Amino acid sequence: MTGRISLTDVLLRVWGVLVFAFLFLPIAVIIVYSFNEGRLLVSFTEFGTTPFRAIVERPAIRSAVMVSIQTGAIAAVISTVLGTLAGVAMARRPGKWVVVFVGLLLLVSVTPEIVDAVALLPWLVLLGQDAGMPIFDNGVVRLVIGHSLFATAVVSYIVRARLVGLDAQLEEASADLYATPLRTFRRITLPLAMPAVLAGGLLAFTLSLDNTIISAFVQVSGTTPWPVYVLSALRSGLRPEIAAVSTLMLLLTLVSLTLVWLVLRRAGDSSTQIAKTMTGN
Amino acid sequence: MRAPKFLLAVPAWAWLTAFFILPVATVVYFSFGYKPGLFGTHATDVLSLDRYREALSPTFFTTFVNTLRIGILGTLICLLIGIPMAYWMAVKVSPRWRTLLLALVIVPFWTNFLVRTIGWQVILAPEGWLSGLLQSIGLRDAPLAILYTRPAVLLGVVYNYLPLMILPLFVAFDRVGPALREASKDLGADRLRTFLRVTLPMARPGMIAGILLVFIPLMGDYITAVVLGGARGNMVGQLVASQFQAAQNWALGSAMAVLLIVVIAGAVLAGGLLAWLVSWPVRHRTRLGLADLENIAVQERA
Amino acid sequence: MTRARRPRPIRILAPAAVAPRIRAEFNRRQFLAGAMALGGAGLLTACGGDSDGDTASPTGDASPRATGGDLEGQVSIYTWGDYDSPDVLDAFSEELGPEIRLDAFNSNEEMIAKLVAARGTSGYDIVVPTGQFIPQMVENDLLEPINKELIPNIEHVDEAFLGLEWDPENAYSICKAWGTTGYVYDNTVITRELTDWNDFIDAAKNEASGRTSLLDDPAELTGLYFWANGINWTTEDEADLQAAEDFLVGELAPHITAFDSYPGGSAIPQGQHVLMQSWNGDARLGIMESPDPDRWTWVLGAPATQLWMDNWCIAKGAPNIEAAHAFINFVLAPENVIEQTDYIGYHTGAKDVESMAEEAGLEMLDLIFFTPDQVATMQEGAVNSAQQRIVDIWNKMKAAAGA
Repeated sequence: MTGRISLTDVLLRVWGVLVFAFLFLPIAVIIVYSFNEGRLLVSFTEFGTTPFRAIVERPAIRSAVMVSIQTGAIAAVISTVLGTLAGVAMARRPGKWVVVFVGLLLLVSVTPEIVDAVALLPWLVLLGQDAGMPIFDNGVVRLVIGHSLFATAVVSYIVRARLVGLDAQLEEASADLYATPLRTFRRITLPLAMPAVLAGGLLAFTLSLDNTIISAFVQVSGTTPWPVYVLSALRSGLRPEIAAVSTLMLLLTLVSLTLVWLVLRRAGDSSTQIAKTMTGN
Repeated sequence: MRAPKFLLAVPAWAWLTAFFILPVATVVYFSFGYKPGLFGTHATDVLSLDRYREALSPTFFTTFVNTLRIGILGTLICLLIGIPMAYWMAVKVSPRWRTLLLALVIVPFWTNFLVRTIGWQVILAPEGWLSGLLQSIGLRDAPLAILYTRPAVLLGVVYNYLPLMILPLFVAFDRVGPALREASKDLGADRLRTFLRVTLPMARPGMIAGILLVFIPLMGDYITAVVLGGARGNMVGQLVASQFQAAQNWALGSAMAVLLIVVIAGAVLAGGLLAWLVSWPVRHRTRLGLADLENIAVQERA
Repeated sequence: MTRARRPRPIRILAPAAVAPRIRAEFNRRQFLAGAMALGGAGLLTACGGDSDGDTASPTGDASPRATGGDLEGQVSIYTWGDYDSPDVLDAFSEELGPEIRLDAFNSNEEMIAKLVAARGTSGYDIVVPTGQFIPQMVENDLLEPINKELIPNIEHVDEAFLGLEWDPENAYSICKAWGTTGYVYDNTVITRELTDWNDFIDAAKNEASGRTSLLDDPAELTGLYFWANGINWTTEDEADLQAAEDFLVGELAPHITAFDSYPGGSAIPQGQHVLMQSWNGDARLGIMESPDPDRWTWVLGAPATQLWMDNWCIAKGAPNIEAAHAFINFVLAPENVIEQTDYIGYHTGAKDVESMAEEAGLEMLDLIFFTPDQVATMQEGAVNSAQQRIVDIWNKMKAAAGA
């Protein structure tokens, strides 16, 4: 790319900054409001750090947050693996089956969450109690299953969108050179799909972190996830602690992001760059 | 290749069968049953289509029309915001920043949904920040009244669904790669033509993915639109949920859910058909151009 | 108890090599048996209503299971989020031992669906349903009878809040907190004095049109109409319901901007609306935390309004039933009652809590405590045959307000 800076580039950059401002605006408000000594999250009385102390003192809050993070991570891994494989298959091995499969994915995304919720609850109890598979009595397992459904569809779409129509020559060449299918997948297909896998995984984690309806139905004793806790706390008025949790999580996220970014930077390349090297550009 | 084509999709297929198709099928079966007595939720000893007749009420259609309007407008706005944003991130930003920016798009959504909404309320409330700012610089002489209006409905929807649009678009733009764009320029196309003729068509699968990922879940969602939009954000998913929850009538709730799925699928098909018809003449020309470019790119590489 | 419900282990003598196969076969059969049960019973026992639920369950219906034995090491409470003072919970664990595990639900229906599906294996000891859901839970065999001998502190509960319609003997439930419905208005916009539901309706159609919110609950909407017109709000009479529908959908809906069950949490302090139907504790919180409390006036619904009550109940199959009783007894003690009232802003139903609250310096007590005359106008709710109808009215009204 050349070093010229055109008007389009400036406009695009301005647009990008504006969109980021839009995305972070309410979050900035929440950060300010988490230093609120008042009783209610929304009405700021005076500056203080009591809400942060409350997090330390209140096990219910900590446990809810931990359940959510744990569930989010596991659900993201599972749906990313399932979705990536399915997405690659759809893009690389098209056929009549793809129509059926896309239909299934659409069905998953179109089904209202409340239907998943009332359907999954007795189903998981059946598997856990009557079918003698106690793993399904585990709260985190149940939450992960509930959260992985839509997320799997999301990852599949994105991975397929990345690969479909993209040159399959490299994979064919690799096969011609007697690489095993597994090796071809690992060395060629996966790096090509990597940005999509990454984006899909991030979305899967995010969706899990926000899932309220399915979670509320499938949770068991001791595994109330964070969004269910927050929603049910409306009955007695949301306290500033809830904002403090958000601030802490954001802080931790940003710190770890910066660390990861620094490491990646030192290592030289982003995943995109790897993909590019592979395609020979 | 001896392995069946769908081999890699088998794990996802099995997972979704075990935890989606089978349980949801039982619920769909309830839709042919009825609600037995006051404290029961469903029974299926007598099967009929009566619940579907009940579900097809004028309320359902009024609400569906409102939902469809919000769904289409919300998806369009997401697309319009998302295309320049994703293009900028994937094409203009240097690769070492790209992953970081991608993550930053998502990070706001790790804050709980209700908490984010409260953030918006604090900004938009009549006594809120924006209202105070606008009044103090003299742009408004009365408190801001944007909450609980149709624009507020769209704000809530667009804000919460934007990452589901930006991420697939980013991934799609990212795959176009500089080689094709440069080839296009070498052939004398200007930036706009390159964008319209090369980049955008190549990104089409990502656009379709983004549209589906925003539109479809949005049509079944009934919380996002309400939190900032109040009564104006009434969505058809609410009808389904109210039968399962408040009425404890799982039979009617299932029938409504099936109906909802069918009409959303219909809307998606209709939209797809429309897009296909509209783009038919354009597509024909674009295909040719693209093929030429690809040939040139290949030759250059060789 | 979970142990009683699981099948006993079956012991088979067999060569080691075939043991896994036998086990697999057994699991498969068990699964099939379960699947058959699923098909037959229509997934959930909730198909009840035909009252076959009370056939001689071994734990017994009349005699409570708790005997006052040693406390278990834990007690698991399934309740509304942030609904108990953390200090009281800590004090319980410190003084009596059992660790408390809290889980949250968002609606009674959600909690009931959960208990029904789990068939006594939910692992929850204490649940906190709203009164009108208790008959349904008893009928579906979801609750353990309470052994009141283990709860001597019940003597501190005001008679007025014992023996209500849904559980006349308090065999299954004891008042946890109760509240009522009224509304809050912005007296800088609505400058006349409002005193009852008819004033509310009039203001909603005039000064407050387009700036009014209602509770997001079907019974509260139809209730608004019934209370205003002197009709019992648990009516099952179709003519009454039709009249409510005509009024709510045809007349009131166009003036409504939002359906919000908790305006006190944000709408009142932020001044989002000028007229808001709300529950007393929520309204109190919102007014107290408003930057300008004098702007808001609370009106108790009149001539009639509701009395809702959340109750301490023990879930069927509670694994820590002794600790559950000990906990309920503990929170009913006078020193804890005042802490609870202060924390959640609702009356706990205890005697003399008003004077304690005055001593403790709590504010705006008229939104927590009501005179006996006022309490006499409050009607208990019921889940009855009109439920489907009022949900339909709710949906129609929302469709009309959203159009």
